[in-house]
Amino acid sequence: MYQQDGESIFVIDAHVHLWDASEENIVHEGGEEFIQCFYDYHTTFTPEDLQWGMDEYRKYGADRMVRDLFEDAAADMAIFQPTYLSDFYEDGFNTTHQNAELATEYPERFVLNGSFDPRDGEEGMEHLEELHETYDIQGVKLYTAEWRGESKGWRLDDEEAFRFLEKCSELGIENIHPHKGPTIRPLNRDAFDVKDVDDAASSFSELNFIVEHVGLPRLDDFCWIAGQEPNVYGGLAVAAPFAQNRPGKFSEIMSELLWWLGEDRLLFGSDYALWNPDWLVEEVMEAELTQEHRAEYGVEWDLETKKKVMGENAAKLYDIDVEEKKAQFREDEISRQFGLEDHYASEEPAAADD
Amino acid sequence: MTGRTSDGPSREAVRDRLDRVTDPELDRSIVELEYVDAIEIDGDRVTVHVTLPTAWCSPAFAWMMTSDAREEVERLPGVARTRVFLREHMHDAEINRGVNAGLPFEDAFPDADGAVDAVRAELDRKARIARQYDAVEALLEAGLNPETIVSLRPRDLERTNRGDRVAVYLADRAVGVSVPAAPIDDYLEKARETGAVDAPTDVLFRTPEGEPIDPEAFDLVHRRARLTQVNMSGQGGICDGLREAREKRLERTPSVRRRSGLLLDFE
Repeated sequence: MYQQDGESIFVIDAHVHLWDASEENIVHEGGEEFIQCFYDYHTTFTPEDLQWGMDEYRKYGADRMVRDLFEDAAADMAIFQPTYLSDFYEDGFNTTHQNAELATEYPERFVLNGSFDPRDGEEGMEHLEELHETYDIQGVKLYTAEWRGESKGWRLDDEEAFRFLEKCSELGIENIHPHKGPTIRPLNRDAFDVKDVDDAASSFSELNFIVEHVGLPRLDDFCWIAGQEPNVYGGLAVAAPFAQNRPGKFSEIMSELLWWLGEDRLLFGSDYALWNPDWLVEEVMEAELTQEHRAEYGVEWDLETKKKVMGENAAKLYDIDVEEKKAQFREDEISRQFGLEDHYASEEPAAADD
Repeated sequence: MTGRTSDGPSREAVRDRLDRVTDPELDRSIVELEYVDAIEIDGDRVTVHVTLPTAWCSPAFAWMMTSDAREEVERLPGVARTRVFLREHMHDAEINRGVNAGLPFEDAFPDADGAVDAVRAELDRKARIARQYDAVEALLEAGLNPETIVSLRPRDLERTNRGDRVAVYLADRAVGVSVPAAPIDDYLEKARETGAVDAPTDVLFRTPEGEPIDPEAFDLVHRRARLTQVNMSGQGGICDGLREAREKRLERTPSVRRRSGLLLDFE
């Protein structure tokens, strides 16, 4: 938990990956381009002394991930958002099955999301059902720009995509996370067009659409849609690290988001291992809106707002009882491993031992 | 190398033409953004070298900038042939070949979903909206109220004797208000280019969808225009960062780039 002004803020990192971009796993040049592009984003927005080497960036493994997230209690929980890219990587880049290695070892700490691709037809439908059955997933991460054979992407408002959304609704998979972010080579820019979210969100009002990366570089289209659809949320991955080396831009983007969506519909995410919560959480928690933006937009990045964005909003979407979790973390394996039992000790004075 | 050869264009003239080319996503000049590495003039032949912030920059955007650069320079009197070379881009080979041979985008990239026109139109539309924000801010600053602003037409504007001011005539030309010309000119340029404003009697300012603005919706439309600006400059922040990271990785120090910028300015 992050300590600020004498309070503890429970942090749910709503966007993490356990990926494998090792050379042995790459089967298409797109796979190499993809990880190189990620690495550019990593070095662009990571303080120089904390940047990783390319080799460890390709494949960092479960142990390092657990340390980075939890060793210093940078995050208290994390949500896995898979990215399959099966045409680029032999075993996939970051699939639900790969993520499950960690998620099933520490089920109290991780939420495991699934995915679907409407181009997979009946087989894809079975895969979704299987994921739901095996892991009881409550959310899916969708990558509309994924290449599949000749196809360079799909849209959320396609007829076939609607069939999958219906299935999600039927299975109680309520949280839909479409990736709508910066162009990542070799994927097409147009495949990250955010406008398809509009129709899907109004057609499936019972589902929540958490648009990852707040549509950057289509923040304008995203905010306009979110302003009209109450079940559209914004995932802050990519926007968050602006706090570190573009604080003025962070202030401005955050002000816009708070003005258009309000403090109840934004979720913090590090996008690990693009960026690492062990420094990013602090940057975001300590960031301030400029006086000028506060006056212009009439919004605040204060403790109450941060509590919601850093954890409470995600907890609500995923039915996480934060108080129950804190109690659980006084003695779970992660806390024992890193000596965090006291960290999660009750804030109330301990009862007398009688 | 001297700036001017006997019958060719001056370096300054080439630079001015290139200054008119914008990064379509950021609506800023490629010269200002320091994408132009070098200009070579050999008689009536001009060669321009360009590098973008990242090798992964959208091929469609890269295409627009290099082909626009070639077209702009080619328009200069005294230029017989222009070549533009994009460096260190994923698709530099296809782009350099296609642009310098004057091919359409869809011929250079048979895999793409067709021409770049639709992408360009969408980005131009956003550029117009972002520029509208500055123009409307200037008018609000000058004391005009929203009802008046949404009713303005090009015929209500008149250049004053001072080139940097424009007079806005109100109430059947009974009253004239002076405002800075630059934001109004910038807006008009894009509004005309995109067809949002054509005749002198057309309504000057528009919603992002291109409709006249209902005075009731003025604040919301103005907010949306501000948001469009924030989006552009936010993307600019990403591009800047990517460029810095790439320069470090290539061990090409920023001072080298700065020097090439200085060459452009003063040589």
